[in-house]
Amino acid sequence: MSKILAIAKAEYLIAVRSKAFIIGIILMPVLMGGGLAVQYFMRGHVDKTTRHCAIVDRSGFLYPILEEANQRREANVVFESDEQGNQKQVKPSFVLEKYYETDPSQTEIELSKQVRRGKLFAFLIIDQDILNPNNVATESGHSLAYHTKTPTFRELPDWLRSNVNQAVMNKRFESANLDRKLVQTLSKRVRFTSLGLVKVSEDGKVEKARKDSELVTFGVPFACMMLLFVMVMMTAPTLLNQVLEEKMQKISEVLISSVTPFQLLMGKLIGIVMTALTLSVLYLGGAYFGTVRFGVADIVAPSTYAWFFLFLVMALFIYGSIFSAIGAACSEIKDSQNLMTPAMIFIMIPFFAFGTIIQSPTSLFSVLVSLFPPATPMIMMLRIAMPPGPPAWQILLSVVLTGLFTIACVAAAGKVFRIGILSQGQAPSLGRLFKWIVSK
Amino acid sequence: MIAENIPAVRLTRVSKTYGSHLAVNNLSLTVPKGSIYGFIGPNGSGKTTTIRMILHILLADSGSIEVLGREGTRAANDRIGYLPEERGLYKKMKVMGLLEYYGSLKGMGRSEAKREAGQWLERLGLGDWSNKKIEALSKGMAQKIQFISTVIAKPELIILDEPFSGLDPVNLESLRESILQLREDGSTIIFSTHDMAMAERMCDSIFMIYKGNKVLDGNLNQIQAEHGQDAIRLRTEGGPSILEEIPGVDEIRDLGRFQEVKLSGDQNEFLKELANRTRVYHFEQTRPSLHDIFVRIANPKEESSENE
Repeated sequence: MSKILAIAKAEYLIAVRSKAFIIGIILMPVLMGGGLAVQYFMRGHVDKTTRHCAIVDRSGFLYPILEEANQRREANVVFESDEQGNQKQVKPSFVLEKYYETDPSQTEIELSKQVRRGKLFAFLIIDQDILNPNNVATESGHSLAYHTKTPTFRELPDWLRSNVNQAVMNKRFESANLDRKLVQTLSKRVRFTSLGLVKVSEDGKVEKARKDSELVTFGVPFACMMLLFVMVMMTAPTLLNQVLEEKMQKISEVLISSVTPFQLLMGKLIGIVMTALTLSVLYLGGAYFGTVRFGVADIVAPSTYAWFFLFLVMALFIYGSIFSAIGAACSEIKDSQNLMTPAMIFIMIPFFAFGTIIQSPTSLFSVLVSLFPPATPMIMMLRIAMPPGPPAWQILLSVVLTGLFTIACVAAAGKVFRIGILSQGQAPSLGRLFKWIVSK
Repeated sequence: MIAENIPAVRLTRVSKTYGSHLAVNNLSLTVPKGSIYGFIGPNGSGKTTTIRMILHILLADSGSIEVLGREGTRAANDRIGYLPEERGLYKKMKVMGLLEYYGSLKGMGRSEAKREAGQWLERLGLGDWSNKKIEALSKGMAQKIQFISTVIAKPELIILDEPFSGLDPVNLESLRESILQLREDGSTIIFSTHDMAMAERMCDSIFMIYKGNKVLDGNLNQIQAEHGQDAIRLRTEGGPSILEEIPGVDEIRDLGRFQEVKLSGDQNEFLKELANRTRVYHFEQTRPSLHDIFVRIANPKEESSENE
């Protein structure tokens, strides 16, 4: 046992002192929170280039309305005032230019030229019959045609569409003698709220149902599964390379003279478990303090953390032993890639399945996948983190099955390790590996 | 007192096959305590397989293996030190850290391993290198580190597979001295080698395996007496052609400047005959070297065709 711990300690120290580990600590939160931080820091540095847009107003009444709306936008949206009352530009300005047509057949050609030359950013052609709700398309084929060579910039066309629509609707109501305000009030959409269940506490008090939040229903389960996946991917496959390298450099020959192959395997497995636990404690600790800090600690049940660590340890033993067995069986990196594919497919099961499982976590498919040991750690984790969670018997059954599978994996890997670690030459086929496993 | 009589290693009718290949055939061998036992044999003859079976890294198909008085003693047994033929070190680790790690795998405490490692590094002239990374060492230095990692825990039985391969004469000498010192200190040493001269100089006993079969085993003097008659080594003006005409000459081996002759007749008669025919510069009676015996056994075809 002391030898296993000596190996585990050495492996752990090598792992946590490696650059990959330190990058891992920094990178993960950066990836998770980075999007928000980037947006926050980049807010003041948005693209503020003024966009010039020519308006071909064949309707005859829309240009002034748009111009007026643009002035309102300039005053209210483009500039923001900070605490000191200083005006600060936060959005790009639009400059609308009315285009007077001489030869309508030449309008699009001429304006396209101007856009190409950079004098204009875009141009908008408003159809003369735009007020007629039944007249969807005229000879040009479009009621409202926006031309640009930069279609990815959405702010200008979105603004034009909504303002033109607003103005056209108002005009239609007016000509139908309808009160615009009344129509707006009457056509107001009904609000829809998604809620959990109402609870009655022991003293008879009725606790109000809480609003479902996307964070709880999708975010937390997905994050749990992803974190498990990342932990497994960050540690287990490194065992393959490590074992293979030790074998190729004949270090394993030396190690095997001091420890049994099984001690070596166990030492390595415990090493990665300690590494992954260190990382997880850092991440989850951060997440926990984050939720407490923002007063939303109740979105993650404390038991979820416990399940996470249990499934993490099982997943690491399963995949760690599979990957180290592959490393021990091969003599070249190339061979190991071939044997790695089946193992990777098992690891990827959660990604093929999680969409379906989030939709219907209690379906037969979801139950079966979550009871399939190679997939259990991630899928059962996903189901546990999703309200209301699977029934207790399913969780227990999955833990028992996966526990047995874990023991089987480690035992099989021990066999492969013992035979493979000193073998040379061509990598064994899957069939041969199986023979190794069932050999005495 | 009884413990004294227990051999360090005892193999009784041990066999091992790989698929259809018979690697070791019905081998019996006894290595007494406190001896230096040389395992010799050509590549692929079964030396490493035998060593791995002694270490319990490989399991014998049949027969029994007793090591330090116990059956089924593992390589993991902390009383054994093993230096494999093909060996590597963690390149990124520092010398002292590595030796401490290997010491801990042999069940040593940290401070004990550190002290032993320091002493060994000094003894082998590597005292200044304890804080260097393995990748900074020369091949010879790395080999000495390998050796230290094998003997750091003061094992009772030390098994060295080709310990001298790739060493320059200076390093070779310091390693040889260390091995002799370990024997003085009471360890039993088994080492395999291709270097016959080294085996002759160091070993009390020799074991030779060829194609899985034991072909030689025992005290060196005994082996030399049993295998091959004495030969005459000589240098003459006339060279090998003169020798062929002399009666009583069974075999001539031309070594260039020297010839080796095996006689069926009396050597004084032969010397007289020779002196009559040519000028004799050198005349010496030799015993067959281990190398000769090795070559004869490992290459019997060549030997027999020479005889024809």
